[in-house]
Amino acid sequence: MSVGSLATKDNRPDRRRPHAPKRGVPSRARFVLRRIRKDPASIPIFLALLVASGVMLYPFGFMLLNSLRSQSQYLSGSGFSTASWSALFSYLPVGRELLNSALVCAASIAIILAVSSSAGFAFAKLSFRGQGALFVTVIGCMMVPLQSIIIPEYVNFAHVHLINTYLGAILVYAGLGTPFATFLMMTFYRGLPEELVEAAVCDGLGYESTFWRVALPLAKPALATVAVLQFIQIWDDLLVGLLFLQEPTNRTITVGLGVLSSGRVVAIPELMAGSLISALPAVIVYLVFQRYLVAGLTLGVNR
Amino acid sequence: MPDTQALPRTAKTASGAHSRPTLFSAAGPKASLDAPRRRGASSLQGHRARAGVLLSLPALVLVALVLVVPIGEAVYYSMTNWNGLSAQWIGPGTYLSLLENPVFWRVLENNGLLMLSVPVALAVPLVIAALLHEHVFCWRLFRTLIFLPTAVSWVVIGMVAVRVFAPAGPINLLIGTFGLGRFETDFLGHQYTALLAVALTFVWSMVGTNTIIFLTGMSTIDPSIYEAAYLDGAARWAAFARVTVPLLRRYFQFSFVITVITAFTALFSLIFIMTGGGPGYGTTTLEFFVYQQAFNQGQFGTGAMLGIVLFVILFGVSLAQLRLFRGER
Repeated sequence: MSVGSLATKDNRPDRRRPHAPKRGVPSRARFVLRRIRKDPASIPIFLALLVASGVMLYPFGFMLLNSLRSQSQYLSGSGFSTASWSALFSYLPVGRELLNSALVCAASIAIILAVSSSAGFAFAKLSFRGQGALFVTVIGCMMVPLQSIIIPEYVNFAHVHLINTYLGAILVYAGLGTPFATFLMMTFYRGLPEELVEAAVCDGLGYESTFWRVALPLAKPALATVAVLQFIQIWDDLLVGLLFLQEPTNRTITVGLGVLSSGRVVAIPELMAGSLISALPAVIVYLVFQRYLVAGLTLGVNR
Repeated sequence: MPDTQALPRTAKTASGAHSRPTLFSAAGPKASLDAPRRRGASSLQGHRARAGVLLSLPALVLVALVLVVPIGEAVYYSMTNWNGLSAQWIGPGTYLSLLENPVFWRVLENNGLLMLSVPVALAVPLVIAALLHEHVFCWRLFRTLIFLPTAVSWVVIGMVAVRVFAPAGPINLLIGTFGLGRFETDFLGHQYTALLAVALTFVWSMVGTNTIIFLTGMSTIDPSIYEAAYLDGAARWAAFARVTVPLLRRYFQFSFVITVITAFTALFSLIFIMTGGGPGYGTTTLEFFVYQQAFNQGQFGTGAMLGIVLFVILFGVSLAQLRLFRGER
């Protein structure tokens, strides 16, 4: 149910649609046949979607196929070997970089969740002097492109010796993610009835514990949306990592891969193997938490 | 448990007036008759304000340190000859000298040409979303697959794109099979074909996001509107053009903004991997130019200035679309 509360609107028609009886293949086939007879256009539509899906999946096939070749096999386009997978690990400290990515993601997301869930509550359910101005400041920062601030940011962090430290990159990622996360959390809390907070306060809870014990437990789906969106964003980022994590030992997998490719000395099958490895965690998160990602993405429509 | 549609629906209220809590306004008159209770209420109000400050403080500090202060610094340093260590004041005139820099215009041209791909990045997803909305066999699987590239980094996409657009790569193979052999070329080896390759890759990776946005929009349309259209004898195509497309206006607007912002600010990694901004300045967009000026050439002041120009352009786009939207309502 808590998952359902983030179900996006495009899920609604499925529920109304009668499902095929799942007793066995024949009845399912009969169901499909009946639908085709009812609407002959569904065959070309099906084929068109098949082609579209093929185009979207093509890069994954390309990576997989070519990672299973040696450089000469890649050039000739025939034959398979696992040589590039074993060679990859000598070029790219894959394990270390995956660990770095996971660490940076986890810490940044933890900070984002902590600050945005509380600030979102304060903006949605409390009132204090300067609230409006502060809200506009935080939300307005959503419009600041990374490239506009990255240079002073880099120099500031260099002054306090935070370049090439996890903490530096984590702070940048957390700061960049906070405005949208706050907006998303605030939007969620606004949907909670006002009486909920009033009742909790009348029952003797302070506002802080109302946030902590009443509002926050209800906000789990919104927190999941923030976490999934930020995970994909941070895992896939290159620019921040490229500048703030320059040591080979603390690079994230995406940065490691980017640096490896710009060197242009490594064989292509190994790059494909590395690409596949770096893409896999984000793809898995996407497949598992797809609905949260969709919810977060389409939230902005009604802004 | 919250309402099943809590998130999407409440988004509508976000732009509305700041919703004021009702507790104290309702209790106001009664409390004024009763002195002890009023004192209680005002201390509650104080507590409420304290909690508000306390809870929003961490986010404010983080945003101020990481975003607000650097944007202020960027504005200041954009008018200096900053090299990262020392900065000498030049003044706002430096923005004017930018206008005489041919490379700056070349870079803006690249951004402009990339904008030409935005309609394609909206039209293709619209068609795919319309097909998905027919809910044919396996449509949910197709939806998942088409949305999948959203999770993949630009680095990985670029890594594959380089090989796909290579002289003996699949695209040239495809062109050859269609008997268009004279169009076979080393895409990344020439300025405008390299930009074309970047634009095509960009369109490809926007398909998933925009399809999902349109599909969400289509599912909010009341099916009875279609029933009425079909009863009136409308063909499927007419229903799409006359009913679906007009009702999706807000979703178009949102997709448009997302696509433009992506084209201006999210292609750094793609360009870094695919072309490195070259050949020449062939694929250097404004955001890539910022990076090059600052971190390859050490011109931190110029880089900061270009960053501000980028910010102003995006701000203009957002304002223009807001205005457009207001005009439509």
